[in-house]
Amino acid sequence: MKVKRQSLSNRIVHALTAISIFGLFFTGFGQMPVYKRYMLNEVPFMAWSADYYITLWWHYFFSIVLIAVGFYHLVYHFMRKEFDVLPKKGDVKESVEVIKAMVLGKEEPPSEKYLPEQRLGYAFIVFWIIVMVITGAIKTYKNVLGIEVDGIVMFAAAQIHNLGFFMLIIGVGGHLGAFLFKPNRQLLPAMLWGKICPCYTKNRHSKWEEGVKECEIIINKYGKEVCKEELIEEDKQSKHSKTK
Amino acid sequence: MIDKERRLFFKKASLGIASGAMIATPTTLSATKEIKTTQNQKIGSYIDLTLCDGCKDFDTPKCVSSCRDKNSIHFPEPELPLKPYWPRKQYEDWSNERDRVDRLTPYNWTFVEKVSVNGEDVYVPRRCMHCDNPACMNLCPFGTIEKSKEGMVHIDRDYCMGGAKCRDVCPWEIPTRQAGVGLYLKIAPTLAGGGVMYKCDGCYDLQAKGELPVCQTACPKDAIKFGEFEEIKALAQKRASEIGGYLYGLDEAGGTSTIYISKVPFEEINKAILKDKEAKNDKRAGRPHMKVGIDDKMSDASMWLAATIIAPIAGISAAAIAVHKSKKENSKEEI
Repeated sequence: MKVKRQSLSNRIVHALTAISIFGLFFTGFGQMPVYKRYMLNEVPFMAWSADYYITLWWHYFFSIVLIAVGFYHLVYHFMRKEFDVLPKKGDVKESVEVIKAMVLGKEEPPSEKYLPEQRLGYAFIVFWIIVMVITGAIKTYKNVLGIEVDGIVMFAAAQIHNLGFFMLIIGVGGHLGAFLFKPNRQLLPAMLWGKICPCYTKNRHSKWEEGVKECEIIINKYGKEVCKEELIEEDKQSKHSKTK
Repeated sequence: MIDKERRLFFKKASLGIASGAMIATPTTLSATKEIKTTQNQKIGSYIDLTLCDGCKDFDTPKCVSSCRDKNSIHFPEPELPLKPYWPRKQYEDWSNERDRVDRLTPYNWTFVEKVSVNGEDVYVPRRCMHCDNPACMNLCPFGTIEKSKEGMVHIDRDYCMGGAKCRDVCPWEIPTRQAGVGLYLKIAPTLAGGGVMYKCDGCYDLQAKGELPVCQTACPKDAIKFGEFEEIKALAQKRASEIGGYLYGLDEAGGTSTIYISKVPFEEINKAILKDKEAKNDKRAGRPHMKVGIDDKMSDASMWLAATIIAPIAGISAAAIAVHKSKKENSKEEI
């Protein structure tokens, strides 16, 4: 028995965002003339990768998926007044403390549903996705016959789009890099199956009221056997240090 | 200010000339060095192959030599030694062939292709077609290709990375590359970029001043003419019907601003070009084909733009439905 952390809607949004962003990375690299130079097109079944029109249409396809999913995500959470993932005052300082604790193997400060660095990472990625959508839309608009866009606007849109590309690689790289830290790996099942271990929730996200309540109900009903062994141990240690 | 005044002059002048131009012969129309256009109107050009004789009496065709004279200040001076485009072992270098006038190179932005069709010599001046919706400009990842108000497509050589994508997407593979010059040397000379791309810029700087491109003014046969596109198109169509000939460039790649007029079919000219290249085992860039009816590969762009506009609406609608559904389910649970 586990605590529900991510709804089906969130998991689908996350999966589609991840697929479309990786698709956009690959096809976007294809728009930079690199696959031919680096001979990817000579790898069996990859000849198409050097065809700029094929990678462009796929780039458009993934961008349309991302735009639709992005608008869905923003409107869905706005209408439900769910703003847990937005950055809060003091997140930078708290992120440093959490990361420091993870690196040094010390006890982390308690977190809400999302870790402070998760909230910052979310804002960073969303910001650059918005930049990419706006500059990408300008680039798409000017591709239509009869539409003339000023040269400076085109140049700026292309350069900012390229900058955003690298910023998003950093953002996504940081997001995935978080799983190098063992404590963060507990969050992986949340995005796949939607649920996480109750003891983990109690230990790390003790400021997440709804989650903690659900944990207590589960633990009271089923006992700590539902938790992963190492997390039961962590839970004990955490309680011990708190009583001290 | 000077430009504005000049344009106003042309605007006024063109009003008087336009109607007469429609019935005049190409030769009489080329008597002036000024381009006749109203403000912000697309400029087009025709190249009349029935008039071009490849400047047989000169060492170099006049359109070619005038273009070289005008643009020599822009020709590349590569930093030596040139480095291969890693991990590949080659690089593109024309710096030892600066005098070549028999093909497009970074040092030669127009040339005259001489082919034999049915035993008759045909001279075909070649250069950028200045497409209506240029794939090179649309797909340049660095946004360094622009189209002037007059419709001339030109490369900003200061920011070009020389990836040669413009050449790969160009229906005629017109732009040529020189290694060892340009911005890439300052960024990642070993890993990315490959020089600077060069091609005809339609003398857009002259056109902006209301002046004619040098290939027209230098042509002794009046075979090349620039002017308001609709006027040029009408003249080209009239000329083609007079000689029972053919036009090329109006529909190719979705439309270009260059129209070739010929009394022999362009399919035959294309065959002759390909045959000559094959005979000479000429596989290098710079001698473009003349395939008829080339598709506009950017024609789907409007569909993708429409999809980009619809995507947010779809996302918002789906979110509204999902929220409504979840609220309904929650209220059921509460009951």
